Amino acid sequence: MAGSMVRRPRPPSEWYDYLHEERSQAHEAPTTVVTDIEARAPQRSPAASLLVQSAEPRRRGHSAWIHRRDRRGVVFVVPFILAFLLFSIAPLGYAIYTSLYTSKLIGGTSYSGLANYTSTFDTGEFWSGLLRVVIFGAIQIPVMLVIAFFFATMFDLGVAKAGGFFRVIFFIPFAVPAVVASVMWSFLLEPQFGPFTHLANVLGFPNTNFLGPNLIFPVLIVIVIWEWTGYNMVILYTALKSVPRELIEAAVLDRTPMWKIVLKVKLPMVRPAIVLLAFLNVIGALQLFTEPIILQYYAPESISNYYTPVLYLYNTAIGGQQYNLAAAGAVLFGIIIVVISVGSLIVRRRRGELR
Amino acid sequence: MTATSVGIDVHDVAVAPPSKRALKRQQRRQDREAEMIPVRIYGLRKGTVTLVTLLCVLFAVFTLIPIAWIVINSTKTQSNIFESFGFWFASPFEFFHNFSLLFQDVDGDGTYIQWLGNTALYAGLGGIGATALSTFAGYGFARFHFRGSKALFYFVIAALLVPIAAITLPLYFVYAKVGLINSIWGMVLPSMVSPVGVYLMKVFIDASVPQELMDAARMDGAGELRIFYRLALPLMVPGLMTVLLLSVVGIWNNYFLPLVIFSENTLYPLTEGLGLWAQHASTSGDAQIYPLLVIGGLVTIIPSILLFLVLQRYWRSGALLGSIAN
Repeated sequence: MAGSMVRRPRPPSEWYDYLHEERSQAHEAPTTVVTDIEARAPQRSPAASLLVQSAEPRRRGHSAWIHRRDRRGVVFVVPFILAFLLFSIAPLGYAIYTSLYTSKLIGGTSYSGLANYTSTFDTGEFWSGLLRVVIFGAIQIPVMLVIAFFFATMFDLGVAKAGGFFRVIFFIPFAVPAVVASVMWSFLLEPQFGPFTHLANVLGFPNTNFLGPNLIFPVLIVIVIWEWTGYNMVILYTALKSVPRELIEAAVLDRTPMWKIVLKVKLPMVRPAIVLLAFLNVIGALQLFTEPIILQYYAPESISNYYTPVLYLYNTAIGGQQYNLAAAGAVLFGIIIVVISVGSLIVRRRRGELR
Repeated sequence: MTATSVGIDVHDVAVAPPSKRALKRQQRRQDREAEMIPVRIYGLRKGTVTLVTLLCVLFAVFTLIPIAWIVINSTKTQSNIFESFGFWFASPFEFFHNFSLLFQDVDGDGTYIQWLGNTALYAGLGGIGATALSTFAGYGFARFHFRGSKALFYFVIAALLVPIAAITLPLYFVYAKVGLINSIWGMVLPSMVSPVGVYLMKVFIDASVPQELMDAARMDGAGELRIFYRLALPLMVPGLMTVLLLSVVGIWNNYFLPLVIFSENTLYPLTEGLGLWAQHASTSGDAQIYPLLVIGGLVTIIPSILLFLVLQRYWRSGALLGSIAN
């Protein structure tokens, strides 16, 4: 291995930077041709252009024209923004408002400050549910990403036969509603007639109850892995496909072993995709709801009304009719998710700058 | 805007193909070449290829087990679902009888066919609305740099972080005030708001609708609407289809929103109807509730699986996914 390293002009650790040099050069090429029209601004990093764009002096004739042209864009954005404000932002605002009040059977609604928040804070079920989904994500997401990355790599390198066929098969669960997936799996695992229960009995595990309190957590993990691995795999596959061919060819010519190409060349190149997937999956896992609420019908002794934070919110609001308390819980839960996401984004930024 | 600036996959879809058949042939040749890569180039042993393919088969079996089960058991009576071997057929063959149950109100909870109609209505209206709004907004954000456009765009994207429950539950409180509980608009209108759709359309338009072309049309005196319909829209079709596909399937599969806002079962979509049946199957002992649930589940997943198989090129080419990955 060491012998082949010497011939290489750049070690693999520098390839990433090398490629980015090449890409950014390709970026600038057309820009210099189209100097007049403002093609310059979008080429900068979003943050930079956000700061610079309005302050930047433009050529007189063009700038007035461009200004007039750009103003018309508002019309295209307005319908969405209106709907967005009405159906996303307004409810959120209303939740914050509601969370500050308390309704009583006698005496009506009165302002109660942060009382709803403090009582949510003191609710053990809220925190135990949150802890549960955090552990859930900490196990389910890495397992799923490893499986998805393995298959994506194998399809990308062409190691598996009929990769296209398998890719379609793996993606099918994405089209299955979570309700139906949960119903199907609860039938398969049902303690009386479920085929998997029979199988476990035959294999020498009598009285297996997959929906019992001991196994319900791993069962939920398996169901969610079943639902989402294909989707993650397709995204990773697409990202892997966009790694430039020349880079891989160079590595192959240097007789780099395949596992090294995968781990040292491909993996760093698709890191943004992996980070994004991890991010989306974390948000999804924290909001776990449909699977436990359906499984609860078959396993009421294993899944409580407060099994996950969203189940807690749902049962507080709809079941318990405690709107104000539920609103406070929803806002608190939203804040927790935003803090987690923004925190991880900042960490990612820092790392990106260090690189 | 060259292909390199955005990623190959988005561009592939954006360029109008010279001839579909020629492209397909070329694609197939590339696929075949790619298939030869591992053995020839990486110097793998043939055993590795077999082993990996075997793992693929295993995972495919895992993926297909629930679907095989639901297909097989849609042909069974309730007692056979309980008693016969789960992965093989049992007589009597009751598929058509079970299927006919979908048109009846068997246990007083509601009729499947009505829920199917509701779901199609919600997914159709909501999907078209979401696609239209996302396309307009994506176009506005991608091609017009009006004051505050970037900040507004990031604001919309940031909304993705807010948990759905924190929007849906308050929606229920608001609906209770304004009388939108048990109204189809209470379901359809929120479904039209798709920040992901806006994001995807913006990224797609950035890559596939050249600003220079639009400016040239303006110089020639074309109006903005005309430019949008005649010039930009045809170029946006692949991205638009992706957003339509994703939002239709998203609404089709949505459970939380209808669960919260509908209490009349004549308004239920499929997911909520099936959820109700699932609940009753676990408690009440109606003689036909299990076959109903099984065949209902099967008929629910078939349209969306077919949709994904037919429209493969919109998700396999990576138009939506490539943009996320870059």
